[in-house]
Amino acid sequence: MSYDSLTGFIDSMASDFLFIDGRDIDISAAGKFLNHLDQILAEAEKVSALPVAKISRSLSHILGKWLIDQVKDKETGFGTIEKGIFLMQEVAESYKNTGAYGGDVGGFIGGCATLLGEEIPLEAAAQDKVPDAVEAAPAGEPETVPESAADQVQDESLLKDFIVEACEYIDEIEVNILNLEQEPDNKEFINAIFRPFHSIKGVASFLNLGIIRDLAHKLENLLDKARNGEQEVTPPLIDVVLDGADALKILVNQLKTDPGSSQTIPEGLDLEELKKRIQMVEEGRTDIPARKKLGEILVEEGVITPETLKKGLDTIEKKPGTKIGEALISEGDVTPKQVSQALRKQVDQVSEASTIRVDTHKLDDMIDMVGELVITQSMVQQDLNMSLHADRNLMRDIAQLFRITSALQRASTGLRMIPIKQTFQRMSRLVRDLSKAAGKTVAVEMEGEDTEIDRNMVDEIYNPLVHMIRNSVDHGLEVPADRLRAGKSEKGIIRLSAYHRGGNIVIEISDDGRGLNKEKILDKAIKNKVLQSRDGLSDAEIYRLVFLPGLSTAEKVTDISGRGVGMDVVKQAVEKLRGKIEIESQPGEGTTFITSFPLTMAIIDGMIVKVGPERYILPTTAIRQALRPTRESYNNVVGKGETIRVMGQLLPLVRLYQLFGIDPDYKDPWEAIGVVVEGGNRSKCLLVDKIVGKAEVVIKSLGEGFKNIRGISGGAILGDGQVGLIVDPEGLFDFSERQ
Amino acid sequence: MDKSIKILIVDDFATMRKVIRNLLKQGGYENIVEAEDGVNALKILKSQKIDFVVSDWNMPNMSGLELLKAVRADEELKALPFLMVTAEALQENVVAAVKAGVSNYIVKPFTSAVLDEKIKKIMEKM
Repeated sequence: MSYDSLTGFIDSMASDFLFIDGRDIDISAAGKFLNHLDQILAEAEKVSALPVAKISRSLSHILGKWLIDQVKDKETGFGTIEKGIFLMQEVAESYKNTGAYGGDVGGFIGGCATLLGEEIPLEAAAQDKVPDAVEAAPAGEPETVPESAADQVQDESLLKDFIVEACEYIDEIEVNILNLEQEPDNKEFINAIFRPFHSIKGVASFLNLGIIRDLAHKLENLLDKARNGEQEVTPPLIDVVLDGADALKILVNQLKTDPGSSQTIPEGLDLEELKKRIQMVEEGRTDIPARKKLGEILVEEGVITPETLKKGLDTIEKKPGTKIGEALISEGDVTPKQVSQALRKQVDQVSEASTIRVDTHKLDDMIDMVGELVITQSMVQQDLNMSLHADRNLMRDIAQLFRITSALQRASTGLRMIPIKQTFQRMSRLVRDLSKAAGKTVAVEMEGEDTEIDRNMVDEIYNPLVHMIRNSVDHGLEVPADRLRAGKSEKGIIRLSAYHRGGNIVIEISDDGRGLNKEKILDKAIKNKVLQSRDGLSDAEIYRLVFLPGLSTAEKVTDISGRGVGMDVVKQAVEKLRGKIEIESQPGEGTTFITSFPLTMAIIDGMIVKVGPERYILPTTAIRQALRPTRESYNNVVGKGETIRVMGQLLPLVRLYQLFGIDPDYKDPWEAIGVVVEGGNRSKCLLVDKIVGKAEVVIKSLGEGFKNIRGISGGAILGDGQVGLIVDPEGLFDFSERQ
Repeated sequence: MDKSIKILIVDDFATMRKVIRNLLKQGGYENIVEAEDGVNALKILKSQKIDFVVSDWNMPNMSGLELLKAVRADEELKALPFLMVTAEALQENVVAAVKAGVSNYIVKPFTSAVLDEKIKKIMEKM
């Protein structure tokens, strides 16, 4: 065996060592030596010169400690390194000549340990004067910043920035931790949670926000361990990190209202208890299986009952070495095919889909550009249609181009679609918090969480959904005692489900609570004078009354549902997103909110109507019906304006041509068409010349210059390349009332 | 020492960049640019002349250590002074940075005086 490389590496380290100025090792020299030592270690292990390997490891260790300023006696440290290099030379030389080393390096290794062991009294090192090589605070707990340092950077705008950024980071933590709950092994998620805590700690240490810094530090440590695999990601860990994030939010928000409060703990926040829990999680290493067990999957799939599974588990306990699948097959409970399917499912849970992350701005830009392409394409087509000399081939090619651009547009809008899962997870978190506060036990069931929706819609629909959830937890579900009395299980169920229907995503939120109280709704409706008589209304019509302002039936205002936000506000919010909301309820069995939203805000399903030469697009979701008013149904009462009677209801008449100053084809209502449109809890009858047809159009903003046009929410290029304006019913109604 | 050197701050946390910027300004350094991660830092380093880098250790996309390695591996940038900002002096991390050729490291939180001292010492050796 050749030891030439080994002696060569050691010699070059030794010669570098000779060139050191003074008896101190600076960073670049330390870097060089560490790299030398890595080389030596690898080579020594390769040629089995174990004593050399041992020495090089010890020297690397001393250098590491040196770098973080934990070698207090630099003189002895320097001497030890020197000695170590010579010793390596001696040992390697001996290997080269005899293939072995007769001496003992144990004494030297022991000396290294003593050097480090004796020299690490931490407090002493910290007070020592700033050393030459590196100025470092001791590892471990972060040091308190000297007051002056904090004051120097402590200015108000910095604190404001910190509050905003920290809140954003904490929100990020919440989302990511719910992802982590689904995939406890995913290092990327752990990292995504670790990093914000880390950053918050860093800035807090500069701003002298001791309480925030310490809490963030504790959480960061816990996650660091999870990241390194020293700590299993368990439900208690998730809980404590979530609570930690909440506590941080409270602390940061406190700064928002009172910038001087950085050293006080807000009332009601038990940081000591939280810290104790963090410690408990760190100490107790509970193990949870990373993936679902085969038996669980089989039960979930409905292949076997839990009892059968238990029987099978008992069998394998008696016969060690058998697997659950085998046991169940031999008992005839399952077929081998069912087991193999379940096994495949088990593996699928772990394997990741091959995906890449793309910045949403890039996607938005691309989708915008595709939108422009579609418009330009239709303009080209229009020009050709008008031209007399259109070439047959050209026409055919253009038709092909049209198909491709449409396909491209569909594909590109699809790119921005994400599963509703994340939203559901956030809501399940909310239910957890809310039910705790209300003293109820609630289980959340989800269905269809893979249903996709436009990324830009996700944030928009969140608030209305939250209100419905609050409503369900607070008013829908009974307290455990009442549930038992009603013969239900103590645990209430909130069910979230999503599916696609037409161009919409339907989201249902249902509870198995007490159901809506029809009598109470009717009482309130009569009291508020929205209803004259209680008779003649179907159940569905009665339930729909809760969407009217001031008809919330809650007996008391609680801190959960809050005050003021009734179902009328929810309905408005849903409609603003061009969605629809319905309610279903069975007394004693529960209530279901059924909401449907368009999949994307980029495309609108509309009815094209004509007024004079202009065309407008009315959102289909807002249209109740279209009719030709009769002379008899028209009424003009002084002071109340014009009305049309539609199915026994008097609806205000809005003449679109008047609002927009156009010359119409028809001015008499009985010659024109009336379209009943709903918006902002009002219904009115719009007078138009003609209904042209239905169309799905891509919404284009009108640009900065035309941002706040009353009654118009945007524009669209119609099939013939002309622009049609999209009507915003609520805005239009406001506009008409102000006229 | 020349205080007009152009310093690049790399940190994903905007407030942190502002903190370091303020500290540098207190030390008399005015010529400062920022990047929010290693990838953007490299872009800046390639497109303009930077004299000094102050980089955070823990960042998404490309960590401070990866940035350092990329800088040292680049023929034009390999001698660039590089100061690493870390949260604590962990031996493992410091050793990795030193092996990769970091000019020095500094532990959060620090004062403008300590930062100035570090920069001066590194620049003197250039």
